[in-house]
Amino acid sequence: MKTPLYYLRIYLSIVTQYIKAKLQYRTDFFISTIGMIFTNIAGIFPVWIIFHNIPSLHGLSFNEMLFIYCFSLLALSPLQLFFDNIWSIWSHLLSGTFIKYYLKPMNVMFYYMSEVFDLKGLSQVAIGIGGLIYASNQLDVQWTLLNIVLLIVSLIGASLIMISLMILAASTGFWIMDPWNVISLVNRFRDFAKYPVSIFNDFFKFIFTFIIPIGCIAFYPSQLFLNPLQDNEMIVFFSPLIGIVLFIIANAVWNKGINSYSGTGS
Amino acid sequence: MAMIRLENLSKHYKVLNRSEGLSGALKDLFSRDYRIVKAVSDLSLEVNAGEIVGFVGPNGAGKSTTIKMMTGVLKPTSGLLTVNGRIPTKNRAQNMQEIGVVFGQRTQLWWDLPVIESFKILRQIYRVDQSSYNENMNIFEELIDLKALYSTPVRYLSLGQRMLCDIVASFLHNPKVIFLDEPTIGLDISIKSRIREVIKTLNEHKQTTIILTTHDLSDIEALCKRIVIIDKGTTVYDGSIQKVSSMFGAHRTLKIQLPPAEYLALDQLATSVNGHFSQASAITMEQSEEGWIHFTINQDEVHLMDVLNYIGHHYPVHDIKIEEISIDKIVKNIYEGGLA
Ligand SMILES: Nc1ncnc2c1ncn2[C@@H]1O[C@H](COP(=O)(O)OP(=O)(O)OP(=O)(O)O)[C@@H](O)[C@H]1O
Ligand SMILES: [Mg+2]
Repeated sequence: MKTPLYYLRIYLSIVTQYIKAKLQYRTDFFISTIGMIFTNIAGIFPVWIIFHNIPSLHGLSFNEMLFIYCFSLLALSPLQLFFDNIWSIWSHLLSGTFIKYYLKPMNVMFYYMSEVFDLKGLSQVAIGIGGLIYASNQLDVQWTLLNIVLLIVSLIGASLIMISLMILAASTGFWIMDPWNVISLVNRFRDFAKYPVSIFNDFFKFIFTFIIPIGCIAFYPSQLFLNPLQDNEMIVFFSPLIGIVLFIIANAVWNKGINSYSGTGS
Repeated sequence: MAMIRLENLSKHYKVLNRSEGLSGALKDLFSRDYRIVKAVSDLSLEVNAGEIVGFVGPNGAGKSTTIKMMTGVLKPTSGLLTVNGRIPTKNRAQNMQEIGVVFGQRTQLWWDLPVIESFKILRQIYRVDQSSYNENMNIFEELIDLKALYSTPVRYLSLGQRMLCDIVASFLHNPKVIFLDEPTIGLDISIKSRIREVIKTLNEHKQTTIILTTHDLSDIEALCKRIVIIDKGTTVYDGSIQKVSSMFGAHRTLKIQLPPAEYLALDQLATSVNGHFSQASAITMEQSEEGWIHFTINQDEVHLMDVLNYIGHHYPVHDIKIEEISIDKIVKNIYEGGLA
């Protein structure tokens, strides 16, 4: 049996080498990082404008919105950092190069995803942490040990939600060959995760809570820290569990997919 | 001991008739609109430990499909298959630990990383201990000038250099079986012969069982005692390469191009050539692309030069080429009883 340590070691060697190689193209790295920073800041800008005129929206203050936004940036970072190769899967499937990932004594998903580490995503982590500290200072969130543990657990669970949805989207490619359209569609959910579910109407609130649990990425788990613990709805505590269950499903579908993918001729 | 065993192995591909766009993609997920391609049908084969078997056949014969099944990438539609005593698709990761694979045009090294880093990562992946790693790297170093390439990223290697690196890398974890799917495709003669040498030396040194596909019969002649010829997914010949060589070694393909005005005279050309040479069965003729005519000539019976002289004398020949007999022609000959 291969231990997590085995995979961690291999991941680290591949990523270290990969970063070394990437840093040889410094301009490319700087430009893409700056682009990423702009995108992430631009997302909160409209909220800031709105709050210039009104003090609260659906009972949320600007700082609460900022907290949720930055929580989402952090929860979406693992997807950005470790799973960015999802975006290339269509070309590997169509050209048949995907079969290479079957040929090593390793987990196929691990091998595939290990080939890309998205360096520019680190800026998203930095903005997320910075914004979260600022907002929690303004809001007087107490960072007790319990809260820090809760934060880490809920971030891991939350990150698994979008990762799983994207893996499910990518897995469709094993049957339909070109999953680009499906992946782009699912990727748009990412944007909804950044804002409070409460600003949507009841229909979307229902969808984003129970059907495609986007609300569990940032809005619900954030409530753990924004409200006194006992005032929360049950869903707030379930959010990490939803991530884990979704990931188990996504992994199973992926595995079914790699067994039915038949490559291309030659 | 049989290292590889195939019994009535078949693979039928289901090819989806795809639709366009996002709605098409969603529709395809549930579509039953399939076409069936029978790539491999009832193929049986046994390969012993330490053997090198040349696996040949015309384009689309099912060679790569068979290799993909033997490596555990594809699940057979029916039939039995064991490699090294295992069912390849059953425990894929464990199976991969004991085999090596190289697919012609596609590298398995890390594209952006220097060559030596790929070897180091492979060492970790296969958990090769330091002493066998060093030992193997020394062997590789003697065979190919690996050190000179150490710091070059794989993407900057020439096709031949990359192929050499890919081949030696497939031996790094001392696998019991290695599958090489067209290791010499697209390479010039000098690199081809180096690749053959590397494969031969490593096979002798490590007693690795090797299955190799190619379109170049001279690869097989240089490396294998045994050749398996398949066509349309089934075996048409399985035996010594010597028999094939002695049967077809004297065959040459003479290609002749005539100017457009002479196209129509083809039938007449055939009759005239056949009429002139009494051993007509030794010459077969067929028309190919734009103005080219291919004569397959058995030199044991008719001299190619005599045929060329005769045609050159009576027709305005534009251009000529002389080639060894192709796999396709051999297969055709076998069907006509050539190797019976
Ligand atoms: N993934 C696939 N889906 C559908 N059909 C396929 C697929 N792969 C191969 N085929 C078809 O199966 C047949 C056998 O293909 P295969 O690649 O095994 O042939 P091959 O002997 O390796 O040929 P070549 O010498 O050209 O490499 C061909 O008709 C090919 O078009
Ligand atoms: Mg092939």
